Amino acid sequence: MSRLRIGLTLRIVTVLFVIGIAVFPLYWMFVTALSSDSDLFAADARLFPDFSQFTGFVDALTGGDTLRWLRNSLVIAAGTTVLSIGLGIPLGYALSRFSFVGKTLMTVALLLTQMLPEALMVVPLFALFNRFDLLDSLTGLILANSAFVLPIVALILKGAIDGVPRELEEAGRVDGARPFTMLVRINVPLIAPSIAAAAVIAFFHAWNEYVFAVTFIYAPQMQPASVGIASFIGEVGTPVQTVMAVAFMFTLPAVAFYLFAQKYVVAGMTAGAVKG
Amino acid sequence: MTVLEHTRAPQTEAGRRRSPLGSRWTPYLFLAPAALFIAIFQGVPLAQQVFLSFTKTSLLNPTNSTWVGLENYAHIFGDDDFRRTLLITLVYVVVCVVGSVGSGLLVALLLNRGFRGRGVARALVTVPWAAPAIAVALIATWMLNPQYGIVNRFLDAVGLGVAGGAILDSQTYALPAILVTTTWQLFPLASVVLLSALQGVPKDLTEAATMDGAGRWWTFRAVTWQVIKPTVGLLALLMTIWSIRRFELIWLMTKGGPVGSTETLVIDLYAQAFDSKQLGTAAAIGMVGVVISLIVIAGSRFVARAAEKENTR
Repeated sequence: MSRLRIGLTLRIVTVLFVIGIAVFPLYWMFVTALSSDSDLFAADARLFPDFSQFTGFVDALTGGDTLRWLRNSLVIAAGTTVLSIGLGIPLGYALSRFSFVGKTLMTVALLLTQMLPEALMVVPLFALFNRFDLLDSLTGLILANSAFVLPIVALILKGAIDGVPRELEEAGRVDGARPFTMLVRINVPLIAPSIAAAAVIAFFHAWNEYVFAVTFIYAPQMQPASVGIASFIGEVGTPVQTVMAVAFMFTLPAVAFYLFAQKYVVAGMTAGAVKG
Repeated sequence: MTVLEHTRAPQTEAGRRRSPLGSRWTPYLFLAPAALFIAIFQGVPLAQQVFLSFTKTSLLNPTNSTWVGLENYAHIFGDDDFRRTLLITLVYVVVCVVGSVGSGLLVALLLNRGFRGRGVARALVTVPWAAPAIAVALIATWMLNPQYGIVNRFLDAVGLGVAGGAILDSQTYALPAILVTTTWQLFPLASVVLLSALQGVPKDLTEAATMDGAGRWWTFRAVTWQVIKPTVGLLALLMTIWSIRRFELIWLMTKGGPVGSTETLVIDLYAQAFDSKQLGTAAAIGMVGVVISLIVIAGSRFVARAAEKENTR
């Protein structure tokens, strides 16, 4: 009995320890944002947020930069989501339902894009965007980000469509429905959870993206939050509390949505990669 | 799989023959937009980089390339700095993959027992994976701040303090700091994926093994490990490929420094292109990374096939 209890206590302590390691940095970001200057630079660190010290958040929200950064990030992320889902659904459908010449090649190509570093592609894409006047534009970033996230989206959606019974389509086929109608009417509603998961992945891929944004955007008013926040690193002019408040507002939506979609994301990723 | 599709094909073909759009060309209509898009924004740029890697090209005058054959490759492989970069990349990838898959497995085993609040624990452990790399780099830099960073205060308190506290400016400690940060960000994905793989371990088997008096370690090796092995392999492969191409976290924490002590292939590639303005050399470095990834993928397929053969025997 007592041995059992010791084992249980030990496990609870270990779980709490792991959770502590996992969440501490983000917790610390929050605490730092809500600190007075004296607490920040005191010899003894204050380990809890001081809710009377919210000037960091006020500065972040009224400074003008933050909201514009977040707005730009939102536009880029939303555009990337729409484009990659719009292209990914038909591609996933083709890969799932048809056998055709070049299918293996297409699947392999999708998997191989997983190993291309953004840093390698940034130079030729810069040249391409330069020619088509897409530098310093959110559209350019939407195109570049979509190209990188589309393969993952397509593989997740292919896995989801694999799970839809063909009999449902056979029934539609007898009624004379075209493949496109069947995709939209039958498959899309049934794979809605996977579409949501793929959308979360696409959205936050673009939300978090940095290399393309920092290279393709010059005008400060076009900068997304990733570039804005990165510019704080090594810079000393902005109060630490403000920096952390901005970073916290940037991080929170990503964490919240991933937790919400976690089950589907994991299922989609492993399915896409194993079966692909 | 292929056989199945073959036997099914004539049947569907007959059903769709009425409309020309519903026939052989249908799949191509569905995939054409995406394929074209990927070709324009991934295929062509990749081809351009392959070409560029055989030329001498400056960032300041990129349209003016001189063909130099294999000179860029000869140059980088003859360069001691590049060999160090390869070594650092190897260390980075191996430590990150082993560290995050290993700790992810331990956490998954820990969370695999039923207890109250398991769902909450599972969600909270996932937080690092969901956090943007930019934010992680920012908070890591702040926590490692020489004067006011919490890490230095903690290390000082337990008597392990680094002299001066400038961990990210130290050739000895910068790489370990980046390894810990990366592992922290990656282990949740491993633990969540392995946790779902552990659901596939038949309970009656592990119970039977325990009842027969088998130790925990033996049960794990004989039963659990056999079930989750493919998932572990897949995770290790994905994380290897992602770690070879990881950029933001390292770039924002140290930019590859001090004195190149945290310079991985991708950091070197970016610095060559944008600091040294040598697009040809940069492209060649990138190609080395791509080829290494290809070798890893091919190698993993080979290992997986061999394991499969072993199992069917």
